[in-house]
Amino acid sequence: MAKYFGVDKIFAFLRTIKETGGIRASLYKIYRFDNLRPGTLVGTDKFGNKYFENPHYFYGRNRWVEYAPKYGMDYDGSQVPAEWFGWLHYKTDYLPTNDPTRPKYEWMAEHTENMSGTPGQFMPYSTTTPKIQAWVPPKN
Amino acid sequence: MSSTLLRLKQVSKCAVNGNWVPRALSTSAQRLAETTLKNDFALLNPEDVEHKKKLQELITVEGTTDLSPISGVPEEHIRERRVRIYEPAKNCMQSGTSNIGHWQIDFDTRERWENPLMGWCSTGDPLSNMQVEFSSKDDAIDYCEKNGWTWFIQKSSLEKNFKPKNYGVNFAWNKRTRVSTK
Amino acid sequence: MLRLTVSRALNGAKSSPTCLSVASRYQSDQKKPDKIEVFIDDKPVLVEPGTTVLQAAAMVGVEIPRFCYHERLAVAGNCRMCLVEVEKSPKPVAACAMPVMKGWRVKTDSEMTRKAREGIMEFLLVNHPLDCPICDQGGECDLQDQSMAFGSDRSRFTDIDFSGKRAVEDKDIGPLVKTIMTRCIHCTRCIRFASEVAGINDLGTTGRGNDMQVGTYIEKLFMSELSGNIIDLCPVGALTSKPYSFTARPWEIRKVDSIDVLDAVGSNIIVSTRTGEVMRIVPRVNEEINEEWLADKSRFAYDGLKRQRLVTPMLRDNNGDLNPVDWEAALITVAKVVKHAGNSIGAIAGGFADAEALIALKDLLNRLGSEHLCTERTFPLDGSGTDLRSSYLLNNKIAAVEEADLVLLVGTNPRFEAPLLNARLRKAWVHNETDVALIGPQVDLTYHYEHLGDDPNVLRKINEGDHEFADKLKRAKKPLIIIGAELLERKDGGALLSTVQNLSTKLNSNEDWKVLNVLHKVASQVAALDIGYNPGIDKIKSADLKVLYLLGADGDHINKEDLPKDCFVIYQGHHGDRGAAIADAVLPGAAYTEKQATYVNTEGRAQQTLVAVSPPGRAREDWKIIRALSEIVGAKLPYDNLNQIRDRLDEIAPHLTRYGNAESANYFKQAAELSKKTESAIDCKPIDVKIKELQDYYMTDSISRASPTMAKCVQAVLKQKQSACN
Repeated sequence: MAKYFGVDKIFAFLRTIKETGGIRASLYKIYRFDNLRPGTLVGTDKFGNKYFENPHYFYGRNRWVEYAPKYGMDYDGSQVPAEWFGWLHYKTDYLPTNDPTRPKYEWMAEHTENMSGTPGQFMPYSTTTPKIQAWVPPKN
Repeated sequence: MSSTLLRLKQVSKCAVNGNWVPRALSTSAQRLAETTLKNDFALLNPEDVEHKKKLQELITVEGTTDLSPISGVPEEHIRERRVRIYEPAKNCMQSGTSNIGHWQIDFDTRERWENPLMGWCSTGDPLSNMQVEFSSKDDAIDYCEKNGWTWFIQKSSLEKNFKPKNYGVNFAWNKRTRVSTK
Repeated sequence: MLRLTVSRALNGAKSSPTCLSVASRYQSDQKKPDKIEVFIDDKPVLVEPGTTVLQAAAMVGVEIPRFCYHERLAVAGNCRMCLVEVEKSPKPVAACAMPVMKGWRVKTDSEMTRKAREGIMEFLLVNHPLDCPICDQGGECDLQDQSMAFGSDRSRFTDIDFSGKRAVEDKDIGPLVKTIMTRCIHCTRCIRFASEVAGINDLGTTGRGNDMQVGTYIEKLFMSELSGNIIDLCPVGALTSKPYSFTARPWEIRKVDSIDVLDAVGSNIIVSTRTGEVMRIVPRVNEEINEEWLADKSRFAYDGLKRQRLVTPMLRDNNGDLNPVDWEAALITVAKVVKHAGNSIGAIAGGFADAEALIALKDLLNRLGSEHLCTERTFPLDGSGTDLRSSYLLNNKIAAVEEADLVLLVGTNPRFEAPLLNARLRKAWVHNETDVALIGPQVDLTYHYEHLGDDPNVLRKINEGDHEFADKLKRAKKPLIIIGAELLERKDGGALLSTVQNLSTKLNSNEDWKVLNVLHKVASQVAALDIGYNPGIDKIKSADLKVLYLLGADGDHINKEDLPKDCFVIYQGHHGDRGAAIADAVLPGAAYTEKQATYVNTEGRAQQTLVAVSPPGRAREDWKIIRALSEIVGAKLPYDNLNQIRDRLDEIAPHLTRYGNAESANYFKQAAELSKKTESAIDCKPIDVKIKELQDYYMTDSISRASPTMAKCVQAVLKQKQSACN
């Protein structure tokens, strides 16, 4: 009956708010992600990004990431590490924690996000030997 | 019509630059003009013939000529460049004197930059490779004036006082020219 | 004579300037024997008796190939390349040594001449290696060029199967000249240069014929300040430049004419650049200044332009460290300090400052209400001071030194202060029998001179006439007194200058001959004095300054201790040296190869350098920096480009823009008269010069101090001095 009148939507909405941690937290999440969705937390990567799934939504919208709070509004797609990238983009249904085919070697570099536009960005530099040697002032 | 105009431009260019365009080019242009004259004039009335003949003649311009509006050189390179007119001295590394004894112009050196990958050197200056030789200082000045360039003359003092060379002074017994080492 | 004049007056109603000149030439020719006529390739030419065939040919534009002959060296006549046919002579004659006879018909293009040259060339090539592709002389080699004309198209040299080509051990003659003695063709130009021009009798030949070798007999350094010139003289690749070796080829080089600023002579140079880098510096002929020679410091210190450079503006932070900043931050900070300082701002100009930068800085400071503009080098201000140009110039010009018959050097060592002036003095000593005397420490000038002691009172005695040298000076027709600017920096400099001025006016009999000559040590001094800078920094030390602007002042004249504690020091220049080390703000300027700038040499000749390469990094032309600063300070200077600033120079002193000309100074008598008011007396401190020996010569300024080549030279000289066979 409640379903017929759509009252369950309201309950679901209220439940979502509760799960999120109150009205304040919910409004903040909407502000950050333009979205407030109920979902099950399937994992967290080492940067603190949380990965959710809700099969209630249709394919393509049912997996998402909520970026770690430390990124604030400066989140972008490159902050998702490679192992979660595959799950998030439906390349695989295995989670990185229980993916049998995922190789794990010592030499594998840690994931870095795209640093463009930040002080850590790559700057092209001259690979030729400098023709002029600059004076280096003596340090005190 | 357009071909006539083109020819006119060519001929007038020869006239204005009379000093430095090789003779052969200007005469050949004239010969070309004469042959086309005969072919074209048969069907024209006398006034048109007169007019066309006038167009074919060399244009003489009185006073100073300024080529800069039509020379095609970008304005930046006319306004901002300084031309040096100089007399190249003998290369000190060699004793040959064949490639000297004339006047030259060249342009101020502009910024060069280095390719960051290979270290090659680039310049955005099309005039850096331009060196024109003249038989006299005045020709060079005329040329610069015509092209609207600011010029300056680098004074050279290459004239050496003549003194006859003498093999004998190497062995003079009472002069300081006596050679001490052999 | 009189009859001639009368007859000209009678017949010369139509006399034109040309006919006058003909007549006058005729008059002067009466003393000399008549000219004789010879024919070079059937072209008639009138020459003085004694002229060699080669010189006569040069007059009609016929060039005779040569290896050993060089117009600035004695005739040797040993390469035989200049053999030419003379009509009715059974054998070819060596054109470089043979004086022409009346009516000779010389054939420089005949069968016999050609065969002679081809024969010589074949013999030369027998013992010359075929290493042109790896030879540094390749592309500017006389032997290479002439073998194209006279070399055979195939070899008849079969001895290679038996004994091989001649091979000669290379000699080590120092860090500047590289020797590959196998390539030597025994022209002996280097030997003649060393003994005639450089005055070093170290080079010579040993052995005969095929075993002949050019060398130093025992292995030793070629201890000359002009050693680089033997690289130019060598017609083959036997003597090449060590710092330049294997770096560039002559056909890939861009040549820019410029002026040398490492001494006050202002030698003309060609800066060779490739890929925006200075590759080498070679002399450019200027008969009035450096002839064809160049001193070693000017030639080889260019690698100092690539080290220790200031490439970005810097500001001192609170920890006392200089940190790189961009131009905007640097200029705004500096402008704020300058604005705050008001008129208690001073400036010191160093030895490499060009006239444009000097005038811009002076205009800026004057607009701010300050007159504290000084040069590093001081000059006596007693008497007329620097008001009359004649008191601080080498008035008689460098070229005229050759004509002098008696030269008195006072407190100077021209060999190392101005090596090319010394080369002129030596030339005069050798060819003109000029006598030289020196008051000052006994130094090796490469020629014999009379040493009058190092007591400054000798000068006074000569002036008063109770010295035996005074008579000699009086008897001399063309006496010359060259006084070092360094001597005038003494406390009694004014008295010394006054003495010399008075002595000179006494000796001056001819209006065109100027006895008084001052030899400066740095390139900027004359321009700075012309523009109106105060010589010496005493004024700076005594003034309570809030801001001090150092324009390339690296001469160790001013220290932090001389300045008030809160004085803000701005350094503008191209090298990180003494000046930049004490600065609170560093503004990177351009070195002399990187700007079009005016320099005035010690004879008062304005010359300009041209841009050869772009200034490195963020460095900019000096006057542009000052112009930019002036706008931010709020005292905008009224010139925006080079032409406008040169117009300003022209306004102040027109000679500064008459490039290439040395404007003569005058008012010698008035200057001497004014100088009599000098109250100070000559004290008894013996005269000294700073640079006495070769090792002191190489590193004297910020460019040469940054140069590794110059450091190697100093090491080599010190090592040679310690060795047994010195």
